[in-house]
Amino acid sequence: MARLPEFREEQEYRILRDSAASFAADVLAPQAEELDLQPAPWRVKKALAKADELGMLSALVPEEKGGGGLDDYAFCVALEEIAVEEAGVAVALLAHNAALLPAALGEFEGLITGVGEESYPACLAFPGEVALREGKVNARVPFAFNADGCPFITLIPTQEAGTRAVTVRSDAAGVSIEAEAYPLGLRAARPGALKMEGAEPSNLISGGDMLGAVERALFLGLSAVAVGIIRNALRKAYAYARERYQAGKMIIEHQQMRIFLAEMLAGVEEGRSLTRESCSSRELAPAVTAWMRNTARAVQAATDGVQIHGGYGYMRDYGMERLMRDAKYCQMYPTTSQEALLRLLDIYETG
Amino acid sequence: MAATVMSERGRKLLRDFPALGALHEHDRKGIEGLIGLVERAAEYNRDVALPRALELDERMEREPDYFDWEMMREACKYRFFSLAIPEVLGGLANKYMVTGMALVVEELCSACGGIGLAIAAHSLGVAPLIASGAMAHWETVLHEIVEEEKKGNPVLMAYAITEPSAGTDVEEPEFLAVARIGLEAKRVKGGYRVNGRKCFISGGSEAKYITMTAATDRSRPLETWTTFLVERGMEGFSTPRVELKMGQRACHAAELLFEDVFIPHSHVLGYEGDGIANGILIIMAASRGPVGAIATGIARGAFEHFLAWAREPANGKKPIDEDRIRMALADMYAVLEENRGLYLGHSLGGDALFRNAFTHPLFLSAFMIPRRIRASKPYASLLNSYYGKGLVNILFRYFIKDEDATDMLAKASLAKFACADNAMALVSRALELMGTTPSPQRRWVEKAYRDVKLTQIYEGTNQLNRLALYNTEIAGTLKVEIPGPFKKGVR
Repeated sequence: MARLPEFREEQEYRILRDSAASFAADVLAPQAEELDLQPAPWRVKKALAKADELGMLSALVPEEKGGGGLDDYAFCVALEEIAVEEAGVAVALLAHNAALLPAALGEFEGLITGVGEESYPACLAFPGEVALREGKVNARVPFAFNADGCPFITLIPTQEAGTRAVTVRSDAAGVSIEAEAYPLGLRAARPGALKMEGAEPSNLISGGDMLGAVERALFLGLSAVAVGIIRNALRKAYAYARERYQAGKMIIEHQQMRIFLAEMLAGVEEGRSLTRESCSSRELAPAVTAWMRNTARAVQAATDGVQIHGGYGYMRDYGMERLMRDAKYCQMYPTTSQEALLRLLDIYETG
Repeated sequence: MAATVMSERGRKLLRDFPALGALHEHDRKGIEGLIGLVERAAEYNRDVALPRALELDERMEREPDYFDWEMMREACKYRFFSLAIPEVLGGLANKYMVTGMALVVEELCSACGGIGLAIAAHSLGVAPLIASGAMAHWETVLHEIVEEEKKGNPVLMAYAITEPSAGTDVEEPEFLAVARIGLEAKRVKGGYRVNGRKCFISGGSEAKYITMTAATDRSRPLETWTTFLVERGMEGFSTPRVELKMGQRACHAAELLFEDVFIPHSHVLGYEGDGIANGILIIMAASRGPVGAIATGIARGAFEHFLAWAREPANGKKPIDEDRIRMALADMYAVLEENRGLYLGHSLGGDALFRNAFTHPLFLSAFMIPRRIRASKPYASLLNSYYGKGLVNILFRYFIKDEDATDMLAKASLAKFACADNAMALVSRALELMGTTPSPQRRWVEKAYRDVKLTQIYEGTNQLNRLALYNTEIAGTLKVEIPGPFKKGVR
């Protein structure tokens, strides 16, 4: 019986891991292909509604503000498990929670849009150009997850004293959203481009460094999603290797194929450690590093997984090629790996 | 291929391919013919492939059964279906057949890997008819392809070897010997009864003629591996489904179903039992290099879109102004040059080998017999007879030596896996550097990312190709044996 080495974590995380895994297996696995091929808004919404039972729709909002109150690592644990079945839904949840994060951290008047009401998935308009002038929002965001079909959008304007973030309803005047014409992967997270001209905000949020918090959440979350993708690639490729006969023996008996699989296993180990470590630090650098490393590993694992499947891996039916597409988008958002690398040095230099 | 007046693009091609530039000094007409082919492919890209590539790719995700016949009819004007058919039969294949093929597929695949494959898969289907020396079918099948092409009707061929339970296994003698073969062509009176399935056959659902390799005894696949010519319309033969592929969608990957299909003796290409040599190894020795060219073409397309992206201003600055993007562009350029060296090294070598046969007076003299006679039934029966095939075998052995064919298989396998791996890495890196940029170029590079992966899989996985290189060049255990007259096999 093949199993992943035990990853040491506290009881509470283990319990969460188990419930997230059952949610993914029961709700997402049966419709993984549809969520990729025809990710209709109703289908995605229904899947996300079920995730609310795990507290995933307000995971990073503290309990006293009516949220799920998960810590960063718990959130990552749940995302990893969800991504094992459907990375697109995991990223939709991540983007939604990142969009709620400024409200969770900051101060504002009234209720948080999106918490305690049927208002998901929220879109985090990042990265892009966002300006708040005379109380109105102007923005150009070329690519954001959950953009297509979101009820509201969180934006982080640059250089605005006092206000650190705003939320805008997607049906407000001056807001236009264009769905990505043909997304490569993570389709359940319905990416799109946003434009706002003089849009009226519904919440003005003040507080600390929202940008840093949101970025860190994205990097951490995507690191965890990447680990989920590696696990899925390993699981699928391993199962296939054990059932497929090739050149006089089962694929699993071919040494080169064992090396591919072992690399995936190493990726899970390394990926989990990096994610866990970066969750324990409040700094951005560890999260950036985990994201770079894990997503690169995920792209390689998915590509190798397709290779182990041969022709079957390239065909939609086997669900393997989807991982190659999903993993690549995890590596391409919210920044590029080289820009992230340069960022690391900037952080080093500026302290 | 008539010599063309050298255009500026032609001169640039000679600079892009230094090997061709060097040959040009010795063989002006031949090399300019090749340049002409590439220019025609570029014209096809501009007018046919590029305007439809993205839309077609997306449409075929929603409607996998759809096939764009229009692009194939257009391809007739450029005579892309005659690339592997010898000049004596009215085709375009001359002493640079393999190189011409490789250059054209690189060019076509730079626009769309799927459209390039749809066109190239046809020539792959033609190849076993040529390589097995099945001259009895040349005057009918190949003649029909050439004549219909002139009228704008694509008559297509496909090549079928992969079975649901054996892909890599059927491409290597050592593996074929222990493969679990599902399809069997059982010997019956007058021919064979075929039952079973082939899968992932590129162009299989559109082809009128299919060259297929199969065992006549499933328990001894290596010894009984045989090449057949299958015609659409044979009773019991159907193509029930096509796959939804990640990329290269413009060309279908089809399942072929054989339900008690009768194939007459006349449709055995070469002798029964010659299939591993004339149906697999010689074909792979010719085709794997062009697969390297497919990968190179897809990578080149991605490079060009990446370059266009880098030159677009974004937020007031251009990516190309950054040092790291320039370094990446230089790396990618180097990879493309390396790939071209690899596949040209194979294809020019391959041409040197085939040239012996196709330009030899002995070969040409066979075509001095009037076509009226060559196309007649008695002549075909003569060629199809035991001794007729034996005579062709003697000639093939005389023209093409085992060690040359083995060397070609080695170079082809090397070009295939190295070009495909390089191309995969190049495209993946381009996307990594672009990120989720709003540029329209990204969609093209994303498509290339999906398209290029297949080049690591088909025509033998890259692992099998590594093994083929090892076995031929390093260990010396794999030798291609051109089927000899009246020898081996099950007869």
